[in-house]
Amino acid sequence: MIEFLNPILFGGLLALSAPVIIHLLHRRKIKQVDWGAMRFLLEMLAKRRRRLVLDEILLLLVRVLTIACVAIAMLRPALNRHNGRGNGAAISRQGRTAAVLLVDDSVSSRAGRAQPAFDIMKKLGLAYLDSLAPGDEVSLLLMSQLGTPPSDPLFDVEGIKSFVSALKPSYASTDIPALMDAGLNQLKRHINPGAELVLLTDGRKDGWREEDKVRWDDLRERLRGPKNAPVGSRQRPQVIVLSPASVGREENLGITAIGMDRSLVSAGSPAGIRVTVSNFGIQGSREVTVQIAVNGEAAGSKHIEVPAAGQEVAGFAYTFPEPGSYAVEASLADHQDLLAADDRRAVSIQVESSLPVLLVDGLASQGLENKLGFLQYALAPETDHSGAFKVTRIPLVQFTASMLQDYRVVVLGDARVLEPAMVDALERFVVAGGGILVGLGPDSDRELINRYWARNGEGFLPCPLAGAVTPPTAPVPAAINLGSPVFSGFGPKNDEAWKAAKVRSYFKLDARQVKASDLDPLLTLDNEDLLVAERRRGLGLVTLVATSLNADWTDLPLQAAYVPLVRGIVGHLGSFIIPPRNLEPGGQIVYARVKDPAKAMRAEDASGKPLKLTLGAWEGRDAVISEPLMEPGVFVLHDPTEPKPIYYAVAVSAAESALAPVNDREMAGNFEGGLSIFHTPEQVAASLDPARRLSVELWKWFLAAALGLMFVEAWLTRREATSGSGNRAV
Amino acid sequence: MSLLQTVQQEVIERLGNLSITARQAVESVLAGQHRSVRRGLSVEFVGHREYQPGDDLRHLDWLVWARSDRYDIRQYEEETKLRATILLDVSGSMGYAFGPQTKLDYARSLAAALGFLMIRQSDAVGLVTCDTAIREFLPPGSTMAHFLNVLAALEKVRPGGETSLAAVLDEIAERLTRRGLVILITDAFDDPAAFLKSIQFLRYRKQEVRLFQVLDPQEQLFPFRGMIEFIGLEHEPRLRLDGDRVRAHYQAVFQQHQDRLATGCHAACVQLETCRTNEELSTVLIRALAMR
Repeated sequence: MIEFLNPILFGGLLALSAPVIIHLLHRRKIKQVDWGAMRFLLEMLAKRRRRLVLDEILLLLVRVLTIACVAIAMLRPALNRHNGRGNGAAISRQGRTAAVLLVDDSVSSRAGRAQPAFDIMKKLGLAYLDSLAPGDEVSLLLMSQLGTPPSDPLFDVEGIKSFVSALKPSYASTDIPALMDAGLNQLKRHINPGAELVLLTDGRKDGWREEDKVRWDDLRERLRGPKNAPVGSRQRPQVIVLSPASVGREENLGITAIGMDRSLVSAGSPAGIRVTVSNFGIQGSREVTVQIAVNGEAAGSKHIEVPAAGQEVAGFAYTFPEPGSYAVEASLADHQDLLAADDRRAVSIQVESSLPVLLVDGLASQGLENKLGFLQYALAPETDHSGAFKVTRIPLVQFTASMLQDYRVVVLGDARVLEPAMVDALERFVVAGGGILVGLGPDSDRELINRYWARNGEGFLPCPLAGAVTPPTAPVPAAINLGSPVFSGFGPKNDEAWKAAKVRSYFKLDARQVKASDLDPLLTLDNEDLLVAERRRGLGLVTLVATSLNADWTDLPLQAAYVPLVRGIVGHLGSFIIPPRNLEPGGQIVYARVKDPAKAMRAEDASGKPLKLTLGAWEGRDAVISEPLMEPGVFVLHDPTEPKPIYYAVAVSAAESALAPVNDREMAGNFEGGLSIFHTPEQVAASLDPARRLSVELWKWFLAAALGLMFVEAWLTRREATSGSGNRAV
Repeated sequence: MSLLQTVQQEVIERLGNLSITARQAVESVLAGQHRSVRRGLSVEFVGHREYQPGDDLRHLDWLVWARSDRYDIRQYEEETKLRATILLDVSGSMGYAFGPQTKLDYARSLAAALGFLMIRQSDAVGLVTCDTAIREFLPPGSTMAHFLNVLAALEKVRPGGETSLAAVLDEIAERLTRRGLVILITDAFDDPAAFLKSIQFLRYRKQEVRLFQVLDPQEQLFPFRGMIEFIGLEHEPRLRLDGDRVRAHYQAVFQQHQDRLATGCHAACVQLETCRTNEELSTVLIRALAMR
């Protein structure tokens, strides 16, 4: 079968019509001449008409064929005699190989018993590179460098070998579909006909993302290529997986999360630090000591027992003395296992003195009256001396856009109408990272809200409203999303607190115009209608309560659960530190509170090694941006205009700690044939024989044919010019 | 400026005292520079011969009889006038011109020049214009008044009609009963076989024939490029042809025609002079007369 390696140039075949078009245009531009010696023309035609027509057709044919040969040569046809076998069978290669090496240099590749999995992967990769011949081209894509600008393939296989030999595992997390997708994109930069996607993986299940059916379906479709495309062609590349042999489930203990017991951490108040330790082994529970440090100073240790295939939380009480940025680092003391990278973890915490919250009441009033009276007292009760929320309550008529810059959370309480300029200001506010809580009620106008606030799912409201309902029997909250930080104050034991709260009236939400994954339900009624839902808009968050925030439509404010609920919601809305300070490996420090660009900032890692900083922009603001942070740990940025440093934390993905093996059958199950899996360099060498190249590229032949046709064309043209005259002068 | 003035100015200046002479003696009784092979009545005595029965007694030399009692007949050498007939082809193809001058314009000037030269040496000149048939016939005359009539006839000719010289030549041959000179001025774009046959017939009728073939240079070179629609000047069907591609074939056919014409003329002892419309008229005349 012949395939074309530069199908993008198929448009060049249109050039075939050029001689015909030129011929037709030529015929259209006819000049008229009065001619006396017609008898000679007539006599000539009587003798040579057929010959002239034949010559014309022959010449046209030769010219079309010449262009066709050049166009086809540029398409790079290759005669493919590939047998299409795969899955461990010997691989028949195309004339020249275009290999894209996809290296899963994720955290889990550091793990291993006798030697790290990454070292075995490198040997497999070098064995594969040995199977390549001069003229083959290779690209190297590292998991840790996905997203960086792609580079051109190299023909220097020896250079690639040196590079592979020097590779070290990174702290990135694995995303096999993304890596394969990038490999397919990179393949387009290659020119050789035999396409091979070579995945060097540690054989761990994490990162295969098998649950992400949509991405795998897309990937399989791309790998499948056009119908009947042979395996190993550029339309349907040969997929080769090189991974260490599976050794079964491996034992590993790791810190998989550090969190606070509340969304909003206030200075001077005791806060709970929760360190989650996971035991991925199955052989039995493991005892371990968890130590924590805040800003590098020891802040406690705790001995815990982690059950097999389970996790345990080590809780620490800590009072942050003053507002500002803190780095909390947890580690497993005196512990060694297969993966050291997850035995230590850090998180950046922002401690606030108080969260500024603006309450915009639909009606002007004070005290417990009207729309946001209950909310105001729930956030800032007179008995609360912690001052976690600094609340300002204004009537709707006094609400102006300039106020937004002083607050991180805005609450709209049954506001009937907002000026269009205010709607725009609120949209900009939430996109830039602010939080909005919207409560509805009897004064809410569905049409106005849908038209201006929701805008068919494009506005700041999480979703449009379907209409107000008052069921004969008032529903009660039935299900809460305990996984949300909003409910950090609740637990499985006290979710019954909702059962007594009757919701007499509420707005049904019309979620049809919003992607289901975008809308996060927080509280659902027993009739399965949504009561509280949130949606991320830009860098901020909006939470919609479908009923009133006062007692107009519900007796929720009269229940004990109301105070932790609204404090959780508002605290969560105001808890986002923008730009983020908890990063994944490869992330960058982005500091956007640059007050004086002239004053030099500096940043360093935990060992004091300085980081390279550049001045850039973030969301339209001046920002200081660091080089990518490839290793986990704590990083510090010093702003001369701020009294305290700002802490950033880089943590590896918890999913990398599982070290669950993936076997050949599971790997093959993600593909549709055309997959070859090798576990040893010997297998690679035996199956990828460089001498077994069964197909040839034909472009040279087509160019030679084009050259020959050009000679024929020249001969025909010359013959026409001289035939019959015998080169005699008239 | 009239045709006569043009011819006089150019020809007289360039030709000077060149004269035209006939290859053969013509049958003329009038004096001139052309020697007649016929002996008889003339002004110049050449000798006596013995009387033969049947001789005209008017030529008997009575003085010889009186002195010697012999009957001798006086013999004279006659000087005859050249009787030239210029036959001008005015068919449509003669109307072709690539430049400002058509072939007919050129042929007209050539006819006038030749006529003038002959009139100047007291020869008689006639004119026949024709295409498929004779359009005008002026019998030979040797006076300047007659020549002016010839010029007037030349000035009013217009190209038109198809070329069929063979029939015209046959008719002319029938009309010309006395020896003379027939000067054909034509592009000779006719069937060469019939044309040459008619020339031979003219020769049979004791006419010396000189053929001036007038061509436009483009008719030989065929310099057209790209698609051309050729519109015939003699009502031929229109032809759309690629000039580049048919040039060689055209030139081959054209050359073949020229070869046949040259061969035929040579066989019939006819002087063929091919002249192109971009050549000086005097150059052509000098070349043609020098070849005699």
